[in-house]
Amino acid sequence: MELLPLSIMLGAVMLVLLASGLWVALSLMAAGVLAVYLTISAPPGAVMATTVWGSVNSWDLAALPMFIWMGEILFRTRLAEDMFAGLAPWMQRLPGRLLHVNILGCAIFAAVSGSSAATTATIGRMALPELEKRGYDQRMAIGSLAGSGTLGLLIPPSIILIVYGAATEQSIARLFIAGVLPGIMLAVLFMGYTVVWSLINRGRMPAADPRIPYLKRLWETRRLFPVLALISGVIGSIYAGFASPTEAAVVGVVLALFLAWSTGTLSRSAFVDALRGASRTSAMIVLILAGASVLTVAMGYTGIPRALAQFIAEQQYSPYALLAALTVFFVVLGCFLDGISIVVLTASIILPMIEAAGLDIIWFGIYLVLVVEMSQITPPVGFNLFVIQGMTGHNILKVAAMTLPFFFLMIVAVGLIIAFPQLALWLPETMLAR
Amino acid sequence: MRGFLNQLYKFAEILAMAALCLIAGMVFAQVAGRVFDGALGLFGQSPYGFLIPSLAEIAGFLLVAASFLALAGSMRAGEQIRVTLALGRLPARSRLIVEIAVLAIAVLLTGYFFFYAVQFVLQSHRYNEVSYGIIPIPLFIPQAAMAAGIGIFTVSLLDDLICAVSGGETSYGKADAEKSANVHGAGEL
Repeated sequence: MELLPLSIMLGAVMLVLLASGLWVALSLMAAGVLAVYLTISAPPGAVMATTVWGSVNSWDLAALPMFIWMGEILFRTRLAEDMFAGLAPWMQRLPGRLLHVNILGCAIFAAVSGSSAATTATIGRMALPELEKRGYDQRMAIGSLAGSGTLGLLIPPSIILIVYGAATEQSIARLFIAGVLPGIMLAVLFMGYTVVWSLINRGRMPAADPRIPYLKRLWETRRLFPVLALISGVIGSIYAGFASPTEAAVVGVVLALFLAWSTGTLSRSAFVDALRGASRTSAMIVLILAGASVLTVAMGYTGIPRALAQFIAEQQYSPYALLAALTVFFVVLGCFLDGISIVVLTASIILPMIEAAGLDIIWFGIYLVLVVEMSQITPPVGFNLFVIQGMTGHNILKVAAMTLPFFFLMIVAVGLIIAFPQLALWLPETMLAR
Repeated sequence: MRGFLNQLYKFAEILAMAALCLIAGMVFAQVAGRVFDGALGLFGQSPYGFLIPSLAEIAGFLLVAASFLALAGSMRAGEQIRVTLALGRLPARSRLIVEIAVLAIAVLLTGYFFFYAVQFVLQSHRYNEVSYGIIPIPLFIPQAAMAAGIGIFTVSLLDDLICAVSGGETSYGKADAEKSANVHGAGEL
């Protein structure tokens, strides 16, 4: 079959399957099977079995269920309560006060959990009622929560970066370390905006709480220190080359269990629930990866990605023009698809094009995750919006409107990492070789 | 029948959870061994050299088992991602028809996959394929776990298909309804 009709047909099939509600992993698989059937004479089923086995049977990928498990354990502890009690006293002097608890709480929780919906739900459950009780502006409270909830994707350990690393055969350790600075940068952008907003809108800020003495503040924060130690231990050992991501994740699981046990929240049912949750979520993600691997191999047979790459190379587009076009494309795609699906589809189809354009694959992973983060807060499909809709009862479009300023800040962040690629690439370069 | 199927899904899920525990246990033992050796080194002792042979390979195999055996449970808990945007706007009757069509495609696809996964296992068994590591593990064992997981997944989808055709509610539909009743974020992305 000619390349163009083949691409159009496969694209249409995939679109129909996805839109009709066939599970994403199975849609990818079905499109892959069809593509193999149309291009080579071997039975697609045999290709599928070998490919799926090869893609899931992986030491590096074992980090995925372990990091999810660690997050599930900590989700069931009193971490969220501790986060609010521990962070709030430190924010009283900063313009925007407790609004920053949303942002910092999300950033810290993001560093123990790889999921943005879990981050939003955990922090929001605690912070939103407190902020409302104290009379903070609702738009800002909800907007900053939805925006900073997406930090869960960028700040390691990040589930989506593991998926990207597995799908593109890049080092997960380097991807994690590359996500650190852009993640911090995004949190700083959010905090900066909150400061400016609260200075302009002084009238809409409630009165400050009474100041708490320094030592009492430290005492309030005491329960946060084990978590901070856990985070720096996990990320630090990957950075220093002591541990591979899988090993660091397992140590994280054991320390999280210890933490839960020592605070008395580790019941038998909490342990089993966390394990079951981790097993279910990771099975979902692994099946998507398996489906994507079938599609990737099938695409290799069709030659579509190669032709795309060649086309891009011949057109001599500047990387900036290409990235601008891709950003718009991903944001539109993100209105309908979830982040993981976008990442695996990208890896299957347009990665050779990215290489042809001379972009660094690690850098592109960070860029992609940042753009995918934006898709978490764009209607009609945005997981963070769903979570907040469930918590506040506000219509999803209203929540999205409240979040809009933070969406624009993310576009600024995308611009910054395009202009200064070293934001993502500098830290991995300084990693101890392993 | 209902009871047997539920037991089957539950049993597969427990095996998957056990595989995750095994990964964690073995990897942690290895890390602890390394830390212990490091501590011995600080005191000028020679390292003990605790080593779990072929750990990386075994962890990969266990990951395969954990992932595929958990599929049925994960689907029935409504964890598998799909796009419901268009589906949700359809009137009830056409919605049911699309739902049945989608389930039928899913059953066909996973059944097809199951057939070839079994072929794949039989082939590895026939040619005595083993892993490369220090301990040569026959590959058909973890591959059989993959095939079994896909098989149970197919059964579960067929179960849901029959449910939908006979006018009942699907397992994942029920789970979704419960989930939106009490919103909790963990486990979603």
